[in-house]
Amino acid sequence: MVDLHAIIGFEGIGINAWMVWILPFVGAALIPVIAKVGNHARNYAAVGFALASALSAATLLPVALDGGQIHSQINWIPILNIHAGTLADSLSIIMTNIVAWISFLIFIYSLGYMHGDKNLTRYWFFMLFFIGSMQLIVLSDNLLMVFFGWEGVGLASFALISFWYHDKKRDFVGTPGHYAGGIQMWASPSHAGLKAFLMTKAGDIMMLSGMFLIFGYAGTFGFTELLQDQSWATEMAKNNLLVPAAVLIFGGAIGKSAQFPLNEWLLEAMTGPTPVSALIHAATMVKAGVFLVARIGPLFFAVSALNSSQFFEVIAWVGAITAFLLATQALVNPEIKKVLAYSTGSQIGLMMMGLGIAGLSSSFVDGYTSGFFHLMSHAMFKASLFMGAGAVLHAVGSRFMTDMGGLMGKMKKTFLFMMMAGLSLAAAPFITSGFWSKDAILASVLESGYQYSWVLFAIAVMVSFMTAFYTFRMLGMTFFGNKSKFIQQNEGSHHVHEVSAVMWVPFAILAVASIAVGLIGFTFEHQLHEMFTSYLAGTFGIHSELSEGHEVPTESGSGFLGLEELNPVAVTASIGAFALGAILGGLVYMKRIIDPEIVSRSIISRAVWKFFFNRWYLNTALYWGAVVGPLAIYRIIWRYFESTIIDGINPGLQGSMTYFSKVIKAGQTGIAQTYLFVFAAGLMIIIMLLFL
Amino acid sequence: MIESYYLLIATFLPLLVSPIAYILGKKKGSDATTWFSFGILAISTMLLFIASSNLQGGRSAYVESYAWSQFGNFGLRIDGLSLPFAIIINILCTVLTLYSKPYMLHKIKESFEENSGKRESASDSNEYRSNSGGNEIKTLTVSKSDEEQYVNHHMGLYFALYLTFSMGMLGTVLATNLIEFYVFFELMLVPSFFLLAFYGYGERKRIALMFFFWTHVGAVVLLLGLLAIGFFAGGFDYDTVMQNVDKIPDQWIVLIVFALVIGLGVKLAAFALHIWLPYAHSEAPTPISALLSPAMIGIGAYGLLRLWLELLVGDYSQYSIYINLWGLATMIYGGAMAMMQDDIKRLLAYSSISQMGYILFGIGSESVLGITGATFMYVTHGLGKAILFMMAGSIILQTGTRSMSKLGGLAGRMPYTAVIAMIGALTIMGIPPTSGFMGEWILFNGVLQSGLENSDTLRIVAFGLGILATVLSAAYILWMYKRIFFGKIPEQYARVKDSNRYVIVTMAALAAITLFLGVYPNPMLNPITDYVQEMFSGDNTVLQFSTANPVNVTSSYMNSSNGHVTVAGGDS
Repeated sequence: MVDLHAIIGFEGIGINAWMVWILPFVGAALIPVIAKVGNHARNYAAVGFALASALSAATLLPVALDGGQIHSQINWIPILNIHAGTLADSLSIIMTNIVAWISFLIFIYSLGYMHGDKNLTRYWFFMLFFIGSMQLIVLSDNLLMVFFGWEGVGLASFALISFWYHDKKRDFVGTPGHYAGGIQMWASPSHAGLKAFLMTKAGDIMMLSGMFLIFGYAGTFGFTELLQDQSWATEMAKNNLLVPAAVLIFGGAIGKSAQFPLNEWLLEAMTGPTPVSALIHAATMVKAGVFLVARIGPLFFAVSALNSSQFFEVIAWVGAITAFLLATQALVNPEIKKVLAYSTGSQIGLMMMGLGIAGLSSSFVDGYTSGFFHLMSHAMFKASLFMGAGAVLHAVGSRFMTDMGGLMGKMKKTFLFMMMAGLSLAAAPFITSGFWSKDAILASVLESGYQYSWVLFAIAVMVSFMTAFYTFRMLGMTFFGNKSKFIQQNEGSHHVHEVSAVMWVPFAILAVASIAVGLIGFTFEHQLHEMFTSYLAGTFGIHSELSEGHEVPTESGSGFLGLEELNPVAVTASIGAFALGAILGGLVYMKRIIDPEIVSRSIISRAVWKFFFNRWYLNTALYWGAVVGPLAIYRIIWRYFESTIIDGINPGLQGSMTYFSKVIKAGQTGIAQTYLFVFAAGLMIIIMLLFL
Repeated sequence: MIESYYLLIATFLPLLVSPIAYILGKKKGSDATTWFSFGILAISTMLLFIASSNLQGGRSAYVESYAWSQFGNFGLRIDGLSLPFAIIINILCTVLTLYSKPYMLHKIKESFEENSGKRESASDSNEYRSNSGGNEIKTLTVSKSDEEQYVNHHMGLYFALYLTFSMGMLGTVLATNLIEFYVFFELMLVPSFFLLAFYGYGERKRIALMFFFWTHVGAVVLLLGLLAIGFFAGGFDYDTVMQNVDKIPDQWIVLIVFALVIGLGVKLAAFALHIWLPYAHSEAPTPISALLSPAMIGIGAYGLLRLWLELLVGDYSQYSIYINLWGLATMIYGGAMAMMQDDIKRLLAYSSISQMGYILFGIGSESVLGITGATFMYVTHGLGKAILFMMAGSIILQTGTRSMSKLGGLAGRMPYTAVIAMIGALTIMGIPPTSGFMGEWILFNGVLQSGLENSDTLRIVAFGLGILATVLSAAYILWMYKRIFFGKIPEQYARVKDSNRYVIVTMAALAAITLFLGVYPNPMLNPITDYVQEMFSGDNTVLQFSTANPVNVTSSYMNSSNGHVTVAGGDS
């Protein structure tokens, strides 16, 4: 259905769309003031602002379900014809609710996790700034404002990743003493923050360049304006600039979502407090990239029909490479949060694959829905897993899974809910949201008709297998088996115990939600599919031929009614990958029947292990190429050009003047005879010249 | 007929009262002279705002003109181009007066102790002592009043020179006559030389001489160009030159442009002409560094815009690509060298070189947006770099060192300095919501547009490298920030306190402006864009800014007034 609703402006709930992103900023600005009242007031005020923002977001939901739209603008920089505005359509309303509610739960969790930290004013300021910026990205109606949010997210992540800026050893990530190719593989919080900021900045400049290209032809940054008058696209396509511009904007998403080749910052970002990691991975920051692609993907598809297929190919392949790359690294990492971080990068890769395949298939909405559905289910289970991991860290006092083990008995609730969320990540069939969303991606890849879709499909299945394996490995190493030496040693001083309700309730809610969505998964997906079909058709005019003959009876009440709609190959592959990975992981790390040391027996498996553990040497290459190398060149220039030649000009000039004056001085003897002699000689020469 | 002398008063009031500032300092102490100077500069700034409120968009101007000499009229003019420069110069001068008080007290007391401590050996540093008779007495018991007298004398002297300096800078950007421009251009050099020689660090006299020598050489080269323009055009008034620009022979134009670019390039510290800058900026007393670096050297950019782009219309596009590439080289080179520094102020000095590269990059862009962005960059660099220099000063005040290898972890001990310095850092890095981003995106956008317009691969590549250099800027700034504020705090600084209100409030004031302009740039951006747009409206080699896709927009600038609005005429 094309939406017949009038676009809502400032009237009614239109103003709430502004409130969603303004409230967190207002809250951030007020936090230092409220902190004067008292610490409790400040903490609850921060949570209150997050809740207020989430409630404003919730009020928009009916608009999304109706297929309506809120769009309001004010003049911002009139001289350059730039407006500020919010655009709340189906896509952004769903997204803004995910962000708002997950952030709210993480805020509650923070009350427990960060309890007693001295710098909470700074913490709450940047947390609120973080979600404000993210909501700005989601609700902006133009690219320039998106960029404001984009950099705000970067800034907040920089500040929060290096939150413990005193660089104490316990706040580091990575294995101390681990070098790969001469590059140190462990990092301090302040180093990690810097790395995250600079690497995402490298993505940002690509995004800016893409924006400038579009602005040059269209004279506007507005999404709706770009869609209204599409002559700019024709013009750009004529000059072969449309795809480069789109790919450059996607470059921003590569940076923010930690996709290959800008993926390396995400691992070090684990130096931040765990709620920050949860926020970065589930609600803000890395999801910003996926959202951006979801925002501009249909736009480029709509304005150029099939001419932009290269753009979608780039998205799909970058996603596939990242998914595979990071999944392999998650297999071998000993740190619980880093396993989750690799997993995020890998899952984001799958989302990108879904969004990319959308533009390569005849049914745009299938891939689009699958990518976005995976974003939703990932947001739930990953936030839950991170918060659970935080609870474990809190209880154990070490970031290494080798220091854990046998926690099942001591931390029953954490175990239960992490298991639920973990099953969702591993995509346990039919009962988890992760299964349905991953299956949707697999199906949309298979059905796309893209010529290399089988390669993408094979990669996705392999990634599914690895996902199941590393999830079970993580759960097994943490909760199963015997207590590690570390726990036993510390048993006297530091007793492992279950965390307080303020911490476990938030991740329990999300874990249960991810299972609940899983139980009605197929219906849920179908609803989403329908909503996006009408959204894409109504806003962008993208009609999927396939989906028209794809009508599912509306009276389908149960989630299992439409099972025959599933793609059998995709389902089988997905279940097979899960089963294989889960059984293998379970045998090695839960039952502990197979000794994981088995890999070190063969040279080949050991080499592979080392290759994965050294992150495919990408971090090494990055540091040599972008840090060590340039610095060495600068040092050479500094030493042999700036310090020698440029700094030498001044003394050189001075020296030559002194020398010159010495030469002159030599003649100034003060002896009259000499002067007379010279005078006479000169006179002689002149006379000779004149007369001879 | 309204007779008003806003600009005349704004410019010359600081000069006229500078002796009073000295006497006040000597007789009444540092408080009196600080607040007196602050008041005077605040009045001057207010007058500038009043004068600029008369602007009506387009190329309109507010001009005061007075009969002068055979060189033509002595005029003071505020328009879309000089407005951002004048306002920023005056805001910085005003705010930094207050900042100077604690800093200079500290500095002067330090040099007093130095002088009275090692009397025999340091004959050199005794020159500036007030009681020169004291030289004979080897064991001088330093009385309280002795120190007070010394300090008061020097605070007075400092503010007298400071006021003169500010007059010189303001006059340069308001001038309407080539000779007048040159006179002010040199006038700002003299007090800054003395400020550096008297109150600097290290080998201050040598460095002050070096600073004077190089910028003076630059100014003389500039003068040759200005004289040539004047002789051919038959007058030195900007208006006369603009009317008679055709009379300048083509072979001379090349030489004149060369002289202008070299002369102003020295001031701007463009790559290879930057010899003096790292020394002068790092060894000057910090409030003066905060004026030299953002406010003074940027006047070179103003000179290029006004004297070259506006007065010598028509030949700009032949040379623009070279300026563009030169800017690129300066940008990258300054950034790379900044990475190599350990001294905070020296790092900031190289950073200034790099930022001047941005401005040159924009000036050479051959597009309205690029030039607008370059002008806006002056505003944003002025604010951002001043904040960072003030941060350096705050750290010197509290820790006594500016070597980053000795610092670390200060964020907890000096939270206000750290927070405000972050805003300054974001401004220099060009991150929203600071004004840095507003300047940068407009600038880079312009460069890319003009490259695309002419399908000029060189320009597009330059754009790519240029925008990559912004990552370099972010790298050295954040690395500096990390080394100062993050990490383990050294033992000896574990009890350091944050600076006093004079330092924090002044820094915060500038931070507030950069945040405001970052979100709402219109007060600065509108006059600049209007003016630059009109300036190139007849020049079709320069890429115009047009909204190709005017969706429900009223383009108000299209029908703005074109003429020069002369409000006051003086007694000519």
